[in-house]
Formats: sequence, C-alpha cells, structure tokens
Amino acid sequence: MESRRIQRQPAHLLLASEFGSSTLHEKGSGEYDPSFVITKLGAKVNRVVAAGLLERLELRETSNGSTLFQGQLRDPTGLHYFSVGDYNSEMMRELSHQWVERIDDGEPLLVMMTAKSRWYQTDEGAVYTSLRPEEACVVSREVYANWLLDACESTMKRMNAYTSSLEVEPTMEAYGRQKLDTSLLAARNHYGEIDLEPFKLNLMQALDIAEGRIEAATTAPPVMSLPTGEEGSEESGAELTTFLRQAIQQLDQGEGVDFDTLLKNAAARGHLREKAESIIEELLESGQLEEPRFGWFRLASSD
Amino acid sequence: MSEEKYADYIEAVIKECPDATPAEVAEAFAKYEQEFYIPPQDAMRSVLRRFKSGTSPTPSRSTGSTAQRETKKVALLTELTGDDRDVEIEVAIMTHNVRDQLIRGEEKKIAFGFLEDNPWEENGKRTRWDFKDWGPHANLAAGSIVRIEGASVNEYNGKMSLNINQSTRIVVLKEGVPTQVSSNDPIEINDVPADGYICVVGRVLASRPDQIHRKDGSGSIDVVRGRIADQTGTIGFLSWEPFEHEVGTLLKIDGAQVRSFRDTPELNFGRTTRIEIFHDAQFSDLDTLSQTTMQTISSFRDGSRDVDAVVQITEWTKRSFTRDGEEKFLWSGQVADPSGRCRMSAWEELPIDENALPITVKLSGVRIRAWQGIPDITVDKADQVEILDSPPWDEGLDLTNHAVDVSLTDLVAGPSRVGIQSTGMVVSVREDSGFIKRCTECRRVLRDGSCADHGANDGNEDIRLRLVVDDSGATTAVLVNKVATLSLLGMTEEAMHGAVEDKGDLGFVQHLREQILGRTVSVSGRSIVDDQGAMVLCDGIEVVESDSQMRASELRVLWGWA
Repeated sequence: MESRRIQRQPAHLLLASEFGSSTLHEKGSGEYDPSFVITKLGAKVNRVVAAGLLERLELRETSNGSTLFQGQLRDPTGLHYFSVGDYNSEMMRELSHQWVERIDDGEPLLVMMTAKSRWYQTDEGAVYTSLRPEEACVVSREVYANWLLDACESTMKRMNAYTSSLEVEPTMEAYGRQKLDTSLLAARNHYGEIDLEPFKLNLMQALDIAEGRIEAATTAPPVMSLPTGEEGSEESGAELTTFLRQAIQQLDQGEGVDFDTLLKNAAARGHLREKAESIIEELLESGQLEEPRFGWFRLASSD
Repeated sequence: MSEEKYADYIEAVIKECPDATPAEVAEAFAKYEQEFYIPPQDAMRSVLRRFKSGTSPTPSRSTGSTAQRETKKVALLTELTGDDRDVEIEVAIMTHNVRDQLIRGEEKKIAFGFLEDNPWEENGKRTRWDFKDWGPHANLAAGSIVRIEGASVNEYNGKMSLNINQSTRIVVLKEGVPTQVSSNDPIEINDVPADGYICVVGRVLASRPDQIHRKDGSGSIDVVRGRIADQTGTIGFLSWEPFEHEVGTLLKIDGAQVRSFRDTPELNFGRTTRIEIFHDAQFSDLDTLSQTTMQTISSFRDGSRDVDAVVQITEWTKRSFTRDGEEKFLWSGQVADPSGRCRMSAWEELPIDENALPITVKLSGVRIRAWQGIPDITVDKADQVEILDSPPWDEGLDLTNHAVDVSLTDLVAGPSRVGIQSTGMVVSVREDSGFIKRCTECRRVLRDGSCADHGANDGNEDIRLRLVVDDSGATTAVLVNKVATLSLLGMTEEAMHGAVEDKGDLGFVQHLREQILGRTVSVSGRSIVDDQGAMVLCDGIEVVESDSQMRASELRVLWGWA
C-alpha cells in the first residue's frame, strides 16, 4: 500500500485581526504533519491569502550572516507580520529587495500574498502569529477591494458557524451532526465565549473600504506618533469626530456602544487612542453624546 | 495457559533477565509463535535479546515494535496507538463469530467480530473496533462485557483493530445475553459507508446464482449476486449463504458487511447476517424503484455493475486489435448527459449510424470501469442498449460543448469528470508555468532537456500554466493548456516569446502572478481526482471580474447592515 501523501492545505482568507488574535496551535505528531493556527472563529489555518498595504519592510542581517526581511501588511482590521528569509524562493527574496527600495521611495504598495501560517511562543508564554509568504504580487485597488469582500464573506461564514455552534452540545459527534468544523470546537474550548462585535466592526470597516468610502488603504500608512503640528491634529480631530459619530450610529443596537469598541475602531483606522478618548469626552460634555450606563455611549436623542 | 506452555523457556529467560515478568515473556513467545509462526526454541535468542536490552534503566522507544512492554492499561480505545503490544481494557463484545482458517496447512478456529469501549456508561460515547481472537477463548461471547489483558493493537491502512492472542487473559465481568445480537437501526442505501457492518431495508431488484473460483484452483464457492434498492439508491450484494428471496421481496438485512471494490461499496451476506422479510406498505414498489435506479454520468463510480442510464452518444468509432493472433473489434466513443460526459465501449456491434449522431440510448445493466478516473461505460451485449427517439432532456442542449457547473468542494470530493466548470481563487502560480519542452516521443515535460523514459531530446515547445485554485477549503491543481493560456493573457505565442525574453523566465512568472494571483477564476475542462488530490486539465480559464462597490452594497443588504 502506498503511504498516504501529504495533501496540499487549502488557503484561508483571513483579515489581520482574526489571524493576529489567534493563540491556539495544532500540529500532528508526524515529522511532516502540517502545523495549524486555529483562530477564535475556528478557522484551522495552515495557509493564508492575505492582502493589504505594505506598511513596513526591512532587511535585517541576522547573527549567522543570513538575510531576513521583516514586514507588516496592513488591512482594515490590523496588521499581519511576515518574514522572508533564505528559506524562501529566490523570486520571493528578489521581490522583497525591490519592494524595500520602492517603500523607501515612499511608494504605497498594495500587496497580495499566499503565505504559510507561523506560530511562536515567548518564554513568558505570550503567543504570536506571523506569516511566511510563498508567493506575492502588487495588486490594484480593485483587486484588493474584491479580496477584502471575499475575506469578509468567509469571515461572516465563520461568524455564523460560531453563532450556531452556541446552541450545539460541545462534543465532536454533535458538531459532526451539525456539519460544524471540529476546529471550531477546539477554538471554543481554548478561547471560551468570544465577543463577535469586534469582528462585525471589522467587516463593516472592510465594506467601507471596498465601497471606496475610506481612502485609508491606498494612502501612506497612518503615523502613530504623537501629533506635532496643531494643524494636522485639528484636521484629524474633525475627521475622528465624524467617524466616531458614524460608528456609534452604525453600531448602536439600542443600548449604545461600549467605550472599548469605539477606541479599537478608531485605532484600527489609525487614530490615536488618547485623541479618541478626549473627543468622546468632548462630545459627551457638549451634549452630542449620552452615556446611558457607565462606559456605553449613544448619540443624543435630540438628533 | 501459555505460561505453562512456555515454562522452560520462560525460566531460561528470567534467569538471564531477572527484571522481566513471566507474563510478558510468555506473551513475547506467544507473539512470535502466533504472528510469525516461530516456535519458542527458535524465538529464544530474539526474546532474550529483547529483554536484555530492556534491562537498561532508560527503556528506549526506538527499538521498533518490541519497544512497548509494560502493560498499558487504558479506559478507551482512542488512547491506544498502533504499536501498543500489551494492552488491558474493559470492553463490550458486540459481535462474535467463529470461522475456520487455514494457517500453514492446518485448519484453525479463530473468532472475530467487533467490540466497543466504555461498556459501563449507559448511552455514553463508545468507540468501535474490530477484533480477532486467535485463541479462540471459550469465554468470549457476544453481548458480554469483559476485561481483556494482554491484547495487542493492529493497525492496517489506518484502521485500528485489537488482536486477542492465545496468551491473552479474558475476564468476564458481565455475562452476555445470548439472544442479544447487536441490531443497528436501518440506514439508507445512499448513506452506506465504505466498510463496516450495517443494517438496511430494501427491495430485491435482481438476484442470480454465481460461482467464485478460488485463485489457488482448490475449487469454487456457490454464491448469489444481486442488487437491492430503497428510495435513496441501489447497492449490489454478494451472499455467501443460500439466498432464495425473489425479485421484488422487501427485506430487512441486519449485519451485512460492506466491502468496497474500487470505488463501489457492496454488501456481503454471511453466516451472521440476519435477513428477514420486512413489511412496509409505504415502501416503494419495484417499478418505482427501477425508475429511481437510473443513474447519471456524474454519479458513475469505478467498479459499478448493473447500471441503468440514458446517455447521448456524440462520437462512435470501430477499432480493431489482435489478441492471440485473431483480429477482434471494439466500438468506442464519447457519450454525454446533462450531468457530464464520459467514454463508452462496446464489445458487440450496436445498430448505430455514425452519420446520424448524436443518438440517445437507454443502457441497462452495464458496467462502469474507469481510466485515469474518467468513467468508461462497458457494454458487453448489444441488447443492453435501446435506441430512443428523443432525449428525456431539453433537445436543444448541445452536450458536446456542455460544461456542467460544479462547486470546487464537490469537484474535489467527487469522481473524475469530463466537461465541468468550476470557480475559485488562484492561490499559486507555479514557477514552471510558461514555455515548456515536451518529449518528442511521449509528450511528457522534459526536465533539464531529458525525458525519464526516452532520454535527452530537443523536445517540442508547448505552453502551459500550472496553478493552484482554492475555494471554501477545497483545493485543486489546475493545468492550463496552450490555447487557454494565450487567450487568458491576450497574447500571441510570439508576443509571449517576447515577454519571456524581456523579463526572463521568473520575471514572466511574476508578471503572471500580478495578473492572476488572488483573483477569482472560472476554469473549465476535465478533472482527475485520486489519492493525491484533485487536478483540473483546463481548456478554458477566465478571471471573473466583479464590481467591488456593487458587491459591498449587496453584502450590506444581505447582512442587514444597509
């Protein structure tokens, strides 16, 4: 009997926040068994199709003389961290060289990549995920937007599966009967109850971008340092105010929107957390926002 | 009992290896004897070596199958691995059958059946394994709960079972009720698994006596072959016992063993199978069931027999070949139905006018073979084919160019098919996409200017793309042919030569990636599905363009966020 061949692992479409917040890892016992990262929504990921703005790419010389590119890819929900090393194809390394130069010239690059998922744990026990690109290319905005929508759809599928899993007895058989992935059960056991709200917000942001409502994806990466010029901060202050009002309006399902969700959203779009906090404070004081209970905000009913 | 049998040998081993226990030494001897037919005197050196090496303080697990010597006490079968040799577990014996087996020219009785773990918990989760009892132990009976001490695990083709050896101790914890034979709930024929013991209710569609000739020429066995059906489908059966139920009889068949020939499951009725006449006035009659036994090309499986189908013959040619110096004829061609296309071969001449094609025919009782996974209908007798005046589907359908839409998930899970179309995202453009050289003899792709079979040659130039396309967790390789590649790229062959010269081989691949990586494509052609996964031989590929703004708005509406 021929031994079973290792079959190719399918690629998952993942937004950065879902992948980045994963802390569960699975690997079979065999030497060549694939390794997986299991996300909060139960995607069992060995290979990823990721896309976004190439926010950083740097060439590092490692201590043993080999070269390593380290980079960040930003999508509307956060960052993917990736590295390209000597183990990568010549093509991928050549591409990285070219991109380092283009980024240094300040050229915004929208990048699509298929990559293997990586997982590591620090001595302190913190878990990080990252990507190892296999193939990559620069894409147009339209291609990126369509990818975003594909990723949204597949995220939504997982969110729906998660929601329906709440009704199901947490055993392999019950999951099997309901045609739910067993990796979702593993996710539930590991992560416990999760809040879908941030995922939903992520999708809303992604839809915004795909519809061309936000230019975030094709402009230079947001500067995350403290504001230096008054002018710039005023402008972003106005933008942030508008955004916060919009976000509250969209997300409010009767009870208001919680503080953390708002800040996360603002941060995901490159706004400073402190800035967002102070604007919420201002809006509250000026009576444009109400705080029906501590930490929850909604637009004032007079609007 | 085996401790007594091997007493002298055990004593000798213990003298050399004081740490070994008589039971495990006895088991070692028993194992050599039963599994390898090595008598104790011949096994002595090996057993000694094994226990001597085991006296070192750190037992090494790297010594292969002999490594595990401590008794492994487990509650559940799932805790066991394929190389566990001395296992203790409490199980419920579900079935127990005794049969004679010729071992080294000696008739031996052995017992087999299946057992389940977790025997005490009512309605608890139970894992089921097959077992073989080489004893056989007289106190092992169906329905009883026993503790098995010193069994070994057997793993074959990924399937685990328990070997109960002669040296194994069986402690009966709860006597079985002899009449209680495990009765499964009937399942639908469509849901019959590829192996296992099952219960079905079905009507006999066909039944005929047959003989199986032993390969060693030692005689033949009378059997009955046939087919039964329910509303969900039909399945062939092979009865090793007399089977005298007439066609049309409704039967409940409990404890039938499913075996698969190629990709086709078949029921085996043996001594332990219980067949009884079943009464259900609601059950479909023979005529209705015969109607539903009509199959479509997409449902053909390699190795099926007694297949009925309506297909359209689109090409038909006569071929001749010589066998044993005699010229013989074979007719073959292409057929299609709305679910797909495949080949058909006939061993007798059919009344078909090649100029009047396409012709629709009804096939009865034909066989399905497969070549490269593509089904090939075999017609043995001309009377299996009836020519119809018109197809039962829309006559306007041009089946010669008809591509059936199949989701990638179904494509990957199904059989190989011709004339399909599927959609997914390009997740890889392989570096050997572009210009390639094919062997002038066999058309295989040359590696470093050389063919594995025909050596170095100049080769003929060809163009192809090698992609990987994924959709919803399904993945397939896609090989795009020359015409489709050029059409996708909007290039002539000359222009492509220019592009490759300009960019270099790898540069050209990167150029391809910029155009299709991460893009949704629709591919058409034929699929080959085997152990190594799925592959589409693609003669048409297109990037599916969509308007992201429209899509986003649609999703908003769909998700109630408008």
